[in-house]
Amino acid sequence: MGLIKEPKNVDFSTMSEPWTEKELNDFRKIMQGIKEKNAKRKIKGIRTIKKTNNPPDKSTNLQPCISASSETKEQ
Amino acid sequence: MHLIESAKFNKCKNKAYTDVPGNLVAYACKVSVDKGYEGFLAFDAKSALIKHYEQTLNATHFRGLRMFIETSAALRLISQYFKT
Repeated sequence: MGLIKEPKNVDFSTMSEPWTEKELNDFRKIMQGIKEKNAKRKIKGIRTIKKTNNPPDKSTNLQPCISASSETKEQ
Repeated sequence: MHLIESAKFNKCKNKAYTDVPGNLVAYACKVSVDKGYEGFLAFDAKSALIKHYEQTLNATHFRGLRMFIETSAALRLISQYFKT
C-alpha cells in the first residue's frame, strides 16, 4: 500500500449523477473503440512473437572441418 | 463507481491513513476485470482534481466532470496495488 498518493488536504469524494442516454451511448462508443484497439495490439503482438520463435535451420550446412595443423603433426 | 468518500476520521490534515482512495480505485478496477468488464471504470471527479486523477490514476477525461479508467490504466493500477 502507499503507492498511489493524493495531495495533502484533499479528500477523495465523488457521487455520480445519473448518466443520460446520450452520455451512455457516447461512452459505449468510446469503450468499443478502445476494445478494438486493444484487440489489434494483441494480434500484432502474437504475430511478432511467431516471427522470432523459429530460428533458421543450419544443420544441413554443416561440413567437417579439417585443420591443416593436425595433418602436419601426424607426419 | 457511484460513490466513494473518505471516512470522517480520515479527512483533511489529521488523516489516520494515507493513500487509501487510490488503492480503492485499483480494487474497483480489479472487480471490473473479474466481472468481465476489462477494467473499465467510470466516475465523477471534482473539477479541481481532474488533472490530478489523469496523472495519478491515468484516468481519461470524458466530458464535464465525468472521467473513466480504461483497460491498460486499470491493469497498471492493479499490478501496482496487488504486487506480491
